[in-house]
Amino acid sequence: MTALTATSSPRSLPRRSLAGHMNEFGLIAIIVFLYVVFGLVSPGFLGTNNQVNILRDAATIGIAAWAQTLVIVAGEIDISVGPMVAFTAVVMAFLMKWHVPLPLALLGGLGLGTMLGTFAGVLRAVFSVPSFVATLGLWSALRGLALFTTNALPVSFEDNETLDALGDNFLGLPISAIVMIVLFGVFVFVSRKTAFGRSVYAVGGNANAAHLCGIDVTRVRILVFAISGLMAAITAIMLLARLGSGNAGAAAGLEFDVIAAVVVGGTALSGGRGSMLGTLLGVLAITVIGDGLVLYGINSFVQDVVRGVIIVAAVLLNVAVSRGSGRRTPN
Amino acid sequence: MTSLPGPVAELRGVTRRYPGVVALDAVDFMVKPGEVRAILGKNGAGKSTLIRLLTGAETPDGGEVHLDGEPFRESGHKRVHEAAQRGLRAVYQELSLVSSMSIAENMFLGAWPTRSGMLDHRGMEERAAQAMRRLGLHLDPRQLAGSLSPAARQMVEIARAFQGEPRLVILDEPTSSLAAAEVDHVCEAVRAIAAGGVAVLYVSHRMNEIRRLADTATVMRDGRVAATLPVAGTRTEDIVQMMLGHAETVRPTHVSKPGRILLSLRGIALPPKLHAVDLDLHAGEVLGVAGLLGSGRTELIETIMGLRTPTAGAIRVEDEIVRKPGYKAMLRRGFGYTPESRKEDGIIPLLGVDENTVLTDFARVGHGGVLSPSAIERATSGIVERLHIKAARTKTPIVTLSGGNQQKVVIGRWLHARSRILLLDEPTRGVDVEAKRQIYDIIRTLAGEGRAILFVSSEIEELHQVCDRVLVLRDGVIASEHVAPAIDAERLLAACIG
Repeated sequence: MTALTATSSPRSLPRRSLAGHMNEFGLIAIIVFLYVVFGLVSPGFLGTNNQVNILRDAATIGIAAWAQTLVIVAGEIDISVGPMVAFTAVVMAFLMKWHVPLPLALLGGLGLGTMLGTFAGVLRAVFSVPSFVATLGLWSALRGLALFTTNALPVSFEDNETLDALGDNFLGLPISAIVMIVLFGVFVFVSRKTAFGRSVYAVGGNANAAHLCGIDVTRVRILVFAISGLMAAITAIMLLARLGSGNAGAAAGLEFDVIAAVVVGGTALSGGRGSMLGTLLGVLAITVIGDGLVLYGINSFVQDVVRGVIIVAAVLLNVAVSRGSGRRTPN
Repeated sequence: MTSLPGPVAELRGVTRRYPGVVALDAVDFMVKPGEVRAILGKNGAGKSTLIRLLTGAETPDGGEVHLDGEPFRESGHKRVHEAAQRGLRAVYQELSLVSSMSIAENMFLGAWPTRSGMLDHRGMEERAAQAMRRLGLHLDPRQLAGSLSPAARQMVEIARAFQGEPRLVILDEPTSSLAAAEVDHVCEAVRAIAAGGVAVLYVSHRMNEIRRLADTATVMRDGRVAATLPVAGTRTEDIVQMMLGHAETVRPTHVSKPGRILLSLRGIALPPKLHAVDLDLHAGEVLGVAGLLGSGRTELIETIMGLRTPTAGAIRVEDEIVRKPGYKAMLRRGFGYTPESRKEDGIIPLLGVDENTVLTDFARVGHGGVLSPSAIERATSGIVERLHIKAARTKTPIVTLSGGNQQKVVIGRWLHARSRILLLDEPTRGVDVEAKRQIYDIIRTLAGEGRAILFVSSEIEELHQVCDRVLVLRDGVIASEHVAPAIDAERLLAACIG
C-alpha cells in the first residue's frame, strides 16, 4: 500500500483501502460463522421460510438502525426507539378505528413520529439536554402514554386490504424488507453524497470546528433526531401491517437491538465515524443471532444472556481485527 | 546565622532531549530560600522543560536535579508525587481545578483531612478560607469551583499552592487571566510567602510585575541559560536583547500599497480584557497583532468574528456598520477565521483533506445539497496545489498530516469559501520551520491578491517577516503601532512586556 507518504504520522486510522474495510470483513466472517453453526444445529435454519423470517425481523431493526447510525455518528444517541414505534403504531390504530382514511392515518403517524423526534432534537440542540436524558424521558413518557391509552390491550380496527398488502410478500420478499432495502439505499446516498450527510460526520467528528466552518450544528442535531422519529413511524406502519392491530407492548426493547446493531457495525459511540454498510451487517448479525437461538429452542431468558455475550464478543473481535490491520499498515 | 542556607532547588548540567530537538542543553540553575526568581524566554527557549524537570514530570537525559541538596529518589510518575511531598508546588496556565467540587475540596484535592474516618469538612473549609484570606480573597469555600470566574479560579489555584509547607512554588504566567487589582494581591502574597523563606519561580514577561516582586531574573534562550542577573539595575532593553539573541536574519520586509479599508473598529471594549481598541484593516494588507498571553489577542479576534459581544464600540465592514454581530453573519460578509487551537477547534480529524476543505461552502461543490465528487476533487486539488499541501491523496484523513499541512488546509478552506478578510490566530503554532516559511509566503500571496489579513502571533520574531504593520496589545489597549520597514523584534518585544 502506498496510501501514505512521509507526511503522515504513524497512527492507526481507518483507511478507505482494503485495510479500511477490515471491520466489514470481520462482520461478514461472523455472519458466515453464525450461519454455519445454526445451519448445523437447527435443520430448519437454512430453509426459505426461515430466511424470509430473518429478513422480516431485520426490517424491524434495520429501518430504525439506518437513522440511529446518523444519530450516533453525530455524537448523539436515541434510546426512545421502542416506545416511539409502539406509540405511533397505537395512534395510527386509533385513527383507523375511528375510520380515518388509511393514507391520512399513516401520514398522521409519520408526522407524529417526526414531531416527537424533532422535540427530542430541540431539547438536545437548543436546550442542551444530553440526548441520552432527552430520549430517556421520551422513552418513559411514550411507553406510559401507549399503555395508558390502550389499557395495555391491542387496538383493533376494521380490516384494510391496502394495509394487509403492506404486511405481505412481493416477489417472495416481505414488503417490509423491500422498504428496508430501499431506505438503505437512500441513507447510503444521504450519508455519503449530500451536504447534510457530510455535515453529520463533521458535527460528530468535531462540533466546535464544524460550527466555526459555518455549519449549522443546531439544525444538523435536530434533523438527525427528526429522521430517527420518522423512521420509527415507518417501522410502526410495518408492524401495524404485520400484526393487524396497534399494540403498546410491540417493539419492546427494540432500542436495544437497534443500538447494538449500529455499534456492532463499527460506528463509534463517540461520534464522527461509522458507515451504513457496517450497520447493515450489524443488523444481519443481530437478527441471525436472535432467529437462530429461537429456532434452536434455547430458553428465552438464556437467549438474552447468549445474545449479550455474542454482541460484546463481536465488538471485541472487531476492535482486535481493526487494531491489527492498523498496525500492519506501512507508514 | 549558623550556616549559609543551601539552595532549595538545583539543576546540575542538566540536558533534556526530545526527538529532533535539545530542549535543555547542560543547564546549571539554582534558587535559594526566600528568593523570588523571574524566568523569561521566548516560546521554545526551554522554560517549560525546566519547570517540568523540577516538578518531576520529566527526568533528565543527563545531569542531576536536586531538591534541598538531595537528588530525586523516585523515577517515572512517582517522581511528581515525591516532588510534591518535598514541598514543591506548581501553578500552570492551564487550570486544574475540579469544576464539580467546592473550593475547599479542591484545596485539599486527594489529601482531604479526615476526622475519625470521615471527611473533616469544617476544618477543610476553615483552612481554605484562611489560605484565601492571605491572597485577599473573600470567597465562600463551599462554592463550587465551576461557578468561579477564570480569574478567581486562578487565584484559588495560587492559594492552594501557598498552603501547607511549600519549599518552592512555581507560578507559570499566573497573572495572564487577572485584572490589575488581583495582580496586586498576587504580588503581595508572593512577597509575603517569600519573606517566610519559601523560594518562588515566577514565569512571566510583564516587566512591571517582575520589577515589583522579583529579586533576580533568569533569561533563557535556545535551551540554555542566557544570563541570571539582579532585576534592579537591569534595563528592559538588555533583557529583550538576551531573550532574542543576536543573529537575526532580516528578510526583506513587505510594503504593499494598502487598498481601501475593509474592516474598522472604534472603541471596542470587552471588559476586563479589552478597553477601547481602534483598528483599521486595509485590503491587500497583512496586519499583525502582537501581545503577551492574556493581553487580549484572542478576545479581539473573537469579538470581530461575533463570537463575543463587545460592551461598547463599533465594528464597520466596508461601508456597513455591523449592528447585530454574529458569527454566521460575519462569514457571510466574507470573513474567514482560523482558531488558535487547531486540534480542538480547527480540524475534523477523521474526515479527509477534501471534506475538511469544502465544508465551509458545500454549495459550491454540489447542487441542491447533493455533492458532486468531481467538483469536490477539483476544488480540493486546486487548493492543495496553491498552498503546497503535502497529502498522499485528497481523501487522506487530515489527522495523519503534519501540523503545518493541517494548518494549510484550515487556511485553504477559507479560500474555498472565497473569504476576503482572513483572521488568523497563531497560524504557525506547533508547525516546523520549513512549514512556517511556507505559511508566511502563502499569507503574503493571499494579501497580494487583495485580501485583508489579520495575523495574531505571540512569536515576536515572525511578525516582521509577514506583516506590513503591527499593533501591540498590552493590558487590553493598543500600546503601539509599528509600520514596515520599521518593524523589529526588539522594539516589539519591549512594547509587549512594557
